[in-house]
Amino acid sequence: MQSELKVLFGRRRTWALLLALAAIPILIAVAVRLSSGVPSGRGPAFLDRITQNGLFVAFTAMLVSVPLFLPLTVGVVAGDTIAGEASMGTLRYLLVAPAGRVRLLLVKYAAALAFCVVAPLTVALAGAAIGAALFPVGPVTLLSGDVIQPPEAAVRMLLIAAYMAVSLAGLSAIGLFLSTLTVVPVGAMAATVVISVVSQIADQLPQLEWLHPWLFSHYWLGFGDMLRQPVLWDSFGSNALLQAGYIAVFGALAYARFTTKDVLS
Amino acid sequence: MGSEATGTDSTFQPHGKRRGGRNWPRWLPALAVPAVIAAAALAGTLPANAGDPLPQKTPAEVLALAAAHHAQAFSGTIEQSSDLGLPALPSTGASSDPASAGGAASVVEFLSGQHTARVYLDGATKARIQVVDRLAERDIVRRESDVWFYSSKDNSAAHLTLPAHAADLPLAAPQTQGEDPAAPTQSGSPSESMIPTPEDLARHLLEKVDASTAVTVGADVDVAGRSAYNLLLEPRSDATLVGQVAIAVDGETGMPLAVQVTARGAGTPAFRLGFTALSLEAPDDALFTFSPPPGSTVKELQVPGPGQETYGGHTPGAHQLGDPAGDGKGSEHPSVLGQGWETILRLPAAAAGAPDANSFLADPLLAQAAVVVPGGRLVSTALLNVLITDDGRVYAGMVPPDRLQAAASTAP
Repeated sequence: MQSELKVLFGRRRTWALLLALAAIPILIAVAVRLSSGVPSGRGPAFLDRITQNGLFVAFTAMLVSVPLFLPLTVGVVAGDTIAGEASMGTLRYLLVAPAGRVRLLLVKYAAALAFCVVAPLTVALAGAAIGAALFPVGPVTLLSGDVIQPPEAAVRMLLIAAYMAVSLAGLSAIGLFLSTLTVVPVGAMAATVVISVVSQIADQLPQLEWLHPWLFSHYWLGFGDMLRQPVLWDSFGSNALLQAGYIAVFGALAYARFTTKDVLS
Repeated sequence: MGSEATGTDSTFQPHGKRRGGRNWPRWLPALAVPAVIAAAALAGTLPANAGDPLPQKTPAEVLALAAAHHAQAFSGTIEQSSDLGLPALPSTGASSDPASAGGAASVVEFLSGQHTARVYLDGATKARIQVVDRLAERDIVRRESDVWFYSSKDNSAAHLTLPAHAADLPLAAPQTQGEDPAAPTQSGSPSESMIPTPEDLARHLLEKVDASTAVTVGADVDVAGRSAYNLLLEPRSDATLVGQVAIAVDGETGMPLAVQVTARGAGTPAFRLGFTALSLEAPDDALFTFSPPPGSTVKELQVPGPGQETYGGHTPGAHQLGDPAGDGKGSEHPSVLGQGWETILRLPAAAAGAPDANSFLADPLLAQAAVVVPGGRLVSTALLNVLITDDGRVYAGMVPPDRLQAAASTAP
């Protein structure tokens, strides 16, 4: 497990992904800094608050990265889990060790989950840092109109990062399963990202309303509920339940596929 | 890319067959897990039966139970959904100006789709309502006579000082309704102007219980984890669009927990308003304290006069069922034709203080929904028909369109 994490976070690619995520808040902050004031009510939510409070950079960046950037990076990591080893020809050596396939699958998924935790944290921390550097930091106005002090705002930000980590867990389970299907990692990565985009599009179609609560991306934008006073936990709970369902289904599929497949490479 | 994945998947098939005898048990979890989830989901949708059946009560006893109830303090989540057959509004199209919260825009907003609000109430004079939108929120906070409106979308706040005679009026106390001269202002009060509580709505509906309505008590229902009597009101008249109104009355406290209105001949409710979570403990007092956040725009509002609440501040049901008796005098004011479920509300061409009928139609949604009929334009929904005549009069009622047209042609 430890070695797996070391491999994941020792990779230049992982760092590149995290750097790309960190670049989002930096880009937003610099753009807002250079432009002359954002008219209120325009652009993504929270964008107009940045000039008054740097901490909103983190919230805005999170909002911007949820639809594509976070699923993209998670898709890359999760799609690579098994297929990456297979394409490098190292999978069979891993399986020769007495660890067993189930254990390997669990370790790989745990590593992907670790990335799910780190990725939103990166966005939040980079956003808070660049926001504090370029803008004044002060009490944060919540969606409810209540004002909280920066330390409590930091707690809320961590809550949002946790919410997103949970949200991405289902997607990485899908990525893990797709990764067991193929020896071409790029295929699994792309398929994972495509599925996340398709899910989000389906979530927008009113004709598919009956399907919406079952889409793993349905609650992704619900992280705003962490910014209410008091915190609205409903979406966190339903989201966690939904993601657990996805983990169970695709975990079982990945287990079935991986333990029955002939490993040739 | 997807084909890549499925391509390799299909190669599994022959190989699976080859050694299927040994490996098929490994696919069992993959089959069992979705089955378990589907079973759990199905079990969740089945009407949950309350553990302890409530003692049997006659409709009159349930009515008395509901009437004797006084909201003391609670916090809860209310969900409202409408399926009136109107085109769906984009969820971002909601009016964000708190000052216009009681305007036609928000009435229209609640005619379609689904909305969630959190309601906190402590005693008679402290209340907070949070209308939960995606990544946004609209708040109404009341402490004593201070009422604050806040919208996070444009970070704007508005303040209203209730007049002294209204300040001691409970926001949601049934017993004072209709007896006080301030009642018109009262019924347009903030607690109703954004989203009414099931209690507000149930009160309006229960006021209508008379000889024209058959009242029965259905099987106990489970609302927000509490078992409740299901009071069923059925109009005896055929000349109304309403098929059935179901009011869930909490078995313990008598508090109305949910209201469902089903159109005549329809299987599913056209309008539903009910608690999804409810706690009868007093909410944190800090919730009722509000000061405009830094950087927000603050507006001072005047208390709306009784004439101004005619259109604003009522949901589709309440708007029509609202107690208009006090306004029904003189041709300058809206008048009421018919009685009971066949009531038709009539607004004269230029009602004082009321929004112009044409400005009502200027709303893109309603303009789209309105159809031209002989004598005017008709906005037709499952529960409510609104006829706007060519000369600007408005007829609204939970009745079939031809009744409205007949009323329009015979009325002066």
